[in-house]
Amino acid sequence: MTFQSMPMVEGNEFVMGFRKQNVWTQWIALAFFFGKIGSGMFILSLFLGTPLIALAGIIIENIGKGGALMIHLGRPERFWRAMTRPSTSWIARTVWAMGIFTVIGIIYLLVPAGSAAWEFFRVLALISAVVVAVTDGFVMNDSPAIPLWNTPMVPFLFLLYSLLGGTSVFFFLAHGGWIGVNSLLNLETLETTLILINLIGVAIYLLSVVNATAAARESLWLLIKGPYAKMFFGFVVVIGFLFTLFLSLFIGASGGTAVVGLITLADLIGHFFIFYLLLQVGVYSPVLGKLTI
Amino acid sequence: MVIDLKRCVGCNACTVACKSENGTPPDIFFTRVFEQVAGQYPIVKKKYIPVLCNHCLDAPCVRVCPTGATHKREDGIVLVDYNKCIGCKACVVACPYNNRTLMPKGKLKEGHFKGHLTPYEQVKYKGFQEGVVVKCTFCYERVEQGLEPACVNACPAEARVFGDLHDPESKVSRLIRQRGGRQPMSEANTDPSVYYIE
Repeated sequence: MTFQSMPMVEGNEFVMGFRKQNVWTQWIALAFFFGKIGSGMFILSLFLGTPLIALAGIIIENIGKGGALMIHLGRPERFWRAMTRPSTSWIARTVWAMGIFTVIGIIYLLVPAGSAAWEFFRVLALISAVVVAVTDGFVMNDSPAIPLWNTPMVPFLFLLYSLLGGTSVFFFLAHGGWIGVNSLLNLETLETTLILINLIGVAIYLLSVVNATAAARESLWLLIKGPYAKMFFGFVVVIGFLFTLFLSLFIGASGGTAVVGLITLADLIGHFFIFYLLLQVGVYSPVLGKLTI
Repeated sequence: MVIDLKRCVGCNACTVACKSENGTPPDIFFTRVFEQVAGQYPIVKKKYIPVLCNHCLDAPCVRVCPTGATHKREDGIVLVDYNKCIGCKACVVACPYNNRTLMPKGKLKEGHFKGHLTPYEQVKYKGFQEGVVVKCTFCYERVEQGLEPACVNACPAEARVFGDLHDPESKVSRLIRQRGGRQPMSEANTDPSVYYIE
């Protein structure tokens, strides 16, 4: 029996075949979502000089991501134990990264702007925010049993999504006049460029899976042809990429705050669903692997 | 452990013995016997493949555990300390063999008779906690007493053999050597302590 002809097994059936992971679901997706938005907003704020948004990024990171992770835990009252094994565990490193990011971020906000210490903590804060943005990717990447996730593209995608999420929120807030941006960056161009880069990033990631293991191809099949295809093409591709790209390229900021808000909303929808779906289509290699019996 | 696939008849005595020994709640199995249909009509075979935690030497579940709840004993048995487990399920995701299960909330109150726990369940469930991950323990309490794991003891076909892999003269080492024992999913580089022979 070839691997390709092995069935997809649901539930507790005692049958050989591909199995979907079903323990990391919407709460982990939400944690990734908030984690990327929070770190992205913080990174952008370092360049755009908006301390309030930097603070919002820290709060989203801690309450949004932290809260979602706490709900996910089977024993949330013991969450502090997750810090005890950073030597081997990416989850422990993620918790440490969040803590260090929060402390450095707050010090950066408290130090008088323009001072040497401020510049120093600005660099440290940038590094810690980037680390926070990619560590979730390493948490997924650290699963040798799920070939779709076990690729260096995942942390890279997480960083791209972090930058895009932060830019989208900034674009909306700046355009609406809620924040003053002292920037040389053109947020509209940055937004469009990042949407394109993310689209290419997702395409390369999925194309790299085509020639990977049978389990990775099974994941890809679930995503683009199987039960998750409608969600993937609807929320991630059409709403998250094509709709946002269309609005950004052909209407953009000239369409008013409502259009920019729509771009941001559509981007965030795509943003959540890419994480949610990548988790949903995580397929294990068949239990016995190459041991053909 | 060595599992002789030629001897396994798919009776699931090991599955039942394991549940009896460990008193796991409904839908939670520390060992299972997978069925695999191979070949093409009219030459079709049904094969039985017992699976359990492989107590890997390089266990990904031990590595990814953020709390140290999943740990490896000196004798190689991988165990979960329920008091340290936070239920993050990283080990469930990391295990290539799908041999770890979360004990969901409410599971220990439900029992096999939906809301009514038998005296047996009341005693056995005291050893578990909800919201943590559970798995095969290789019946370490039995092993410490010089007994074999319950699944090995119950197998009517002697398809499961338990012993010391470090002792080259043990029965398991000889079986692996003489009959070409193979590890499941060797490409995962986890170095399982369970070998299959046919």
